[in-house]
Amino acid sequence: MGTFLQFVVLGLGLGSIYIGLGTGLLLVHRATGIINFAQGAMAMWGAYVFAQLRVDGTLVFPIGSIEFARRPPIEVAALIGILTAFVLGLVVHYLVFRPVRHAPVLAQVVVSVAVMITIQALVVLRFGPNNIDVASILPEGSISVLGTDLPTREIIMAAIMVVLAAAVWAYLRFTRAGVATRAASENERAAVLMGFSPDRLAAVAQVVAVVLGTISVMLGSSLTGLNPDNYTLLVVPALAVLLVARMESIAVVVVAALLLGAFQSVIGLLVTKSWWPVWAQSGLDQVIPFAVVMVILFVQGKRLPSRGSLQTIRLPDVSIPKLKPVPAVILLVLGVAALSFTQGTWRFGVTTSIIVMLLALSYVVLTGYLGQISLAQGAFAGAAGFALSKMTSAWGVPFPLSLILSALVATALGMLVALPAFRIRGAQLAIITIAAALAIERFVFNNYTLSPPEGNPIADATLFGLNLGVREGRDLARISFSVMVLVIAAILVWVFIRVASGDTGRTFLAVRANERAAASSGIDVRKTKLIGFAISAFIAGIAGCLIGFSRGQLSAESFTVFAGLQVLAVAYLGGITSVGGAIVAGVLGPLGIVYTLLRGVFDLGEYYALISGLGLIITAILNPVGIAGATREQVAWVRRRLSRSGPPPSTVPDAPAPKEPSRV
Amino acid sequence: MSDKGLHTKGLTVRYGGLVANDSVTIDVDPGTVVGLIGPNGAGKTTFVDAVTGFTASAGEILLDGTRIDALPPHERRTAGLSRTWQSGELFGNLSVAENLLVAARAGGWRTLVRDIFVPRRKVSDDVVSRALEVVGLADVADTLARDLTLGQQKLVGVARALAGGAEVLLLDEPAAGLDSMESRAFAARVRSIADSGPGILLIDHDMSLVLGVCDVVTVLEFGKQIFTGTPAEARTDPTVVAAYLGAPVEASHA
Amino acid sequence: MPETPEPLLETVDLAAGYNGVPAIRGLSMSVGPGEVVALLGPNGAGKTTSLLAMVGLVPLLGGEVRVLGAPLGRRRPHQVARSGVLLVPDDRGIFYGLTVREHLRLAARRADPERERQVLDRFPVLRNLDSRRAGLMSGGEQQMLAIAKALLAGPKVLIIDEMSLGLAPKIVQEMLPAIRDLAKEDGIGLVLVEQHIELALSIADRGVILNHGRVVLTGAAGDLLRDRHLVEAAYFGAEQFADTEGTLAG
Ligand SMILES: Nc1ncnc2c1ncn2[C@@H]1O[C@H](COP(=O)(O)OP(=O)(O)OP(=O)(O)O)[C@@H](O)[C@H]1O
Ligand SMILES: Nc1ncnc2c1ncn2[C@@H]1O[C@H](COP(=O)(O)OP(=O)(O)OP(=O)(O)O)[C@@H](O)[C@H]1O
Ligand SMILES: [Mg+2]
Ligand SMILES: [Mg+2]
Repeated sequence: MGTFLQFVVLGLGLGSIYIGLGTGLLLVHRATGIINFAQGAMAMWGAYVFAQLRVDGTLVFPIGSIEFARRPPIEVAALIGILTAFVLGLVVHYLVFRPVRHAPVLAQVVVSVAVMITIQALVVLRFGPNNIDVASILPEGSISVLGTDLPTREIIMAAIMVVLAAAVWAYLRFTRAGVATRAASENERAAVLMGFSPDRLAAVAQVVAVVLGTISVMLGSSLTGLNPDNYTLLVVPALAVLLVARMESIAVVVVAALLLGAFQSVIGLLVTKSWWPVWAQSGLDQVIPFAVVMVILFVQGKRLPSRGSLQTIRLPDVSIPKLKPVPAVILLVLGVAALSFTQGTWRFGVTTSIIVMLLALSYVVLTGYLGQISLAQGAFAGAAGFALSKMTSAWGVPFPLSLILSALVATALGMLVALPAFRIRGAQLAIITIAAALAIERFVFNNYTLSPPEGNPIADATLFGLNLGVREGRDLARISFSVMVLVIAAILVWVFIRVASGDTGRTFLAVRANERAAASSGIDVRKTKLIGFAISAFIAGIAGCLIGFSRGQLSAESFTVFAGLQVLAVAYLGGITSVGGAIVAGVLGPLGIVYTLLRGVFDLGEYYALISGLGLIITAILNPVGIAGATREQVAWVRRRLSRSGPPPSTVPDAPAPKEPSRV
Repeated sequence: MSDKGLHTKGLTVRYGGLVANDSVTIDVDPGTVVGLIGPNGAGKTTFVDAVTGFTASAGEILLDGTRIDALPPHERRTAGLSRTWQSGELFGNLSVAENLLVAARAGGWRTLVRDIFVPRRKVSDDVVSRALEVVGLADVADTLARDLTLGQQKLVGVARALAGGAEVLLLDEPAAGLDSMESRAFAARVRSIADSGPGILLIDHDMSLVLGVCDVVTVLEFGKQIFTGTPAEARTDPTVVAAYLGAPVEASHA
Repeated sequence: MPETPEPLLETVDLAAGYNGVPAIRGLSMSVGPGEVVALLGPNGAGKTTSLLAMVGLVPLLGGEVRVLGAPLGRRRPHQVARSGVLLVPDDRGIFYGLTVREHLRLAARRADPERERQVLDRFPVLRNLDSRRAGLMSGGEQQMLAIAKALLAGPKVLIIDEMSLGLAPKIVQEMLPAIRDLAKEDGIGLVLVEQHIELALSIADRGVILNHGRVVLTGAAGDLLRDRHLVEAAYFGAEQFADTEGTLAG
């Protein structure tokens, strides 16, 4: 009992960080409608600055640094850390989020993913990839309760964060600016008409959120030390906390954060016991909270959105594709040419691009057409990949069958994930799926009893005696393998276009636009979602299998949540609503053509992550509706210009409405 | 009264402590236009929501003699009960024609297979053009729904409700935002739709429209039916005037 | 116009529209303290566009808007609102996620119970809905909230688009005179867009009728009420007026 209580209290340290991040997430979401995936990363920077000052008296900037003769006292260092956070919040708001403030919310979410990648890369470059120790601002000590010595540091930490969260609550609740903050994210035009500047309100929210997060990480990291990966991904449990609070209640954020911290700490204690089953040692601290959150949301959710609920995610427009033989043939010929004129790493890059294109296409189906944001696509791909490994190595299932069966495994998983989507929508669904992905990653892919650490081998494919394996001798990417990938991709794209341009595609778009109206037009919304998830997961599953074939074996690292987020980001920036966008995404995507080019031509080495993060940010600011969409708009504009003969029409111009945000 | 058409018996809706519909009994027979009027917040939209399955209710709802109160919304629609929304609720990012096609062709697993292997060419587009002609909007078929003016959006809503074929139409303030000329034209359209078969329930605050076109008028106040009768009776009925009209309405206005 | 003091809001030869194509042209009108102007016209005439242009939500393509004597210039919409020109847009401009109480708090820069009582007296229904989320309210209740909220902010100029949209006849009959009285008492300049021509003209001082983006008829409200056939003609065929702006003798 005594140890149990001790672990509960120890967990309050982690809980304090969740309060800081969770409250910040809530504030930013309230002010802008964005889920800021970079919350953890942004909070980490100021804490790193603080820690480094205490380690060797160096004040580190993103570029350059100042060395103090003596280490500054801890209060000064802490103040500098908080000041850094303040500046970081301002800079990120004005340079990054503000330029995309009129873009669809998903664009802003993608930008936040890019900021996360950038800051994490910057931390690795400036502070190193290893754990560093952090000085403790609070005194160590203990009090004795019921005969157990409990650490006071964690308790004080939690108290500080509770007070800060309460201050934020009071701001939102009692000040006019606070109420306006909530109003502005819902209906920007209406807020403007009342004399508020939504932009300024958003800036305040962003800065307060970063400062709050930084304080919590500065306090909390003194327990564990700082490490670029952990603190970046702490945003996921903080998001789960946000969900329990229905993205509204700070009081619930605080309680849920502390409970989650305590729970994870206690689980850490329990798994070390001898009676604990071995297969359940990893990932439970993620899986159980996820399951709890999902059940809560599902029970509270409604079959159809209730009257006056906000349209959750605004997405770029879709132009319905047509199957045109000439461009199709040109594309195929280009693909074959690209594959036959390259070899080795280059051909491998092209092949990977085709596979990433398929992953992006799965997002086009699910997010672009059906309007459901799922961050579990990586997990779908992973599930198919691992199934493939079992089928080819353990059971000897022959090639085309093994591919299809494995993709069907992913399809089944996809339809399972569709179940929460029946009642959970928009941003909440996005968070649920990323939590699901993280849980699957930790509990299944990282679980040595299910997935051996030495990897999951995948046997080469052969068809009618033709060897479709990826490697032979020193050839890294055999042409027959690459052509197989191209053929499979072409078939899937063809199927996609038929579905998207048919009745099914239109049904998807109707559900995306307005579930209530869709139901009143005779559409079975649930079945439609099930179909969308099934198609999307099938495509992702095929992509996962192809990744498996191309590597010869799979490990947990092949399908991390982080990689999944990166693919979503490029899929969005390529153009989340079209095949063209998926192709652009494939070219830009991780390990694809552009990557190979950057690697091969310029030796960027350790700067690759930083450059890809910055590249994503800049692309998003320049093309808030995606590259393919922007190109289409430009082409349409040029056409209009060319076809416009005589005076312009005086009424009803055919151009789309201005992108003023509003409900509908 | 025939079995055909829409009939509710004792329809009751509660939102927490608020009784938004209190035992409402309404008959919409084929070919008739029934007006539903009442003060703001009386429960008119709630009635439509309940009948079409968008809010939970107690009591009986019969369509062509069959109970439909247990069906989910989309099945009530396919059974022939069609509605419009007070706030438009079009699919803003689809063209007007596509808005109507959504209603005319439902999806499903079988549709998916057909889409892949034997895609339908644009055959039944006459469904669309016919519905658009009924509301007089044939020229905006290819415009994005969100680029229409308020009045046009309402009319497209009516066309969408017609597109899949309907036994009974429930129209929630379809003429709000129409100018008086357009509103008069709309009255003629409502009449001709009803003459072609379907029963219509019409909610609107434009009295020249409602009292001009309806066969029967029902008045709700605080969720209760306080009056049912002909428009002529409604014009001068003291309870209706006190609760809703304010002043007796002459036969034509604005 | 006779005895009109310095106008609060004035447009001079205004043109505005979307994507560089004007939807209204040559609009000149003004509203002074305590004055009520009804802006009328058939669907698609350009009424909403005119109002949006007055507060800077639609880019000007020509002409000028003068607010309290100074040109609108590069002022941004929220600054226009702060200077006392409030627009109630046709989508009502309310926040589905906020309660009635929160709307009222947002509206008033400083809490003023006296004024709040005055305004709520005009819309007693809202009193019972204090903690209801706006998204759950009925269409008419939302409209009342939108107007109450704007009145509470203490505007100098109040512009209401589709003022009676979704309101029950009785409410409209009571509200229009009430709003006019409020405008007269507080010296608010009021611009109304309405589909009920007669009701609007019965409380307005002046009427401006738009068609196809141009002013086709202006005049004192009383005169317009008397000469209904001219108003009808303005609604029907704009062409006959399109070049020479018809004006009724005052
Ligand atoms: N989900 C809900 N929870 C609580 N109250 C609700 C809910 N939905 C509606 N109401 C209330 O129920 C009452 C009836 O609303 P309804 O929309 O049916 O009115 P209506 O007759 O259509 O009015 P209007 O003419 O203004 O559109 C209103 O007072 C409204 O605020
Ligand atoms: N966002 C937009 N993009 C392009 N054109 C528009 C847009 N909004 C309005 N228009 C066009 O501008 C013209 C004037 O529209 P406006 O909304 O000002 O008319 P209105 O007089 O308010 O009509 P209503 O009475 O139907 O509200 C119309 O022809 C309309 O089609
Ligand atoms: Mg209603
Ligand atoms: Mg308008």
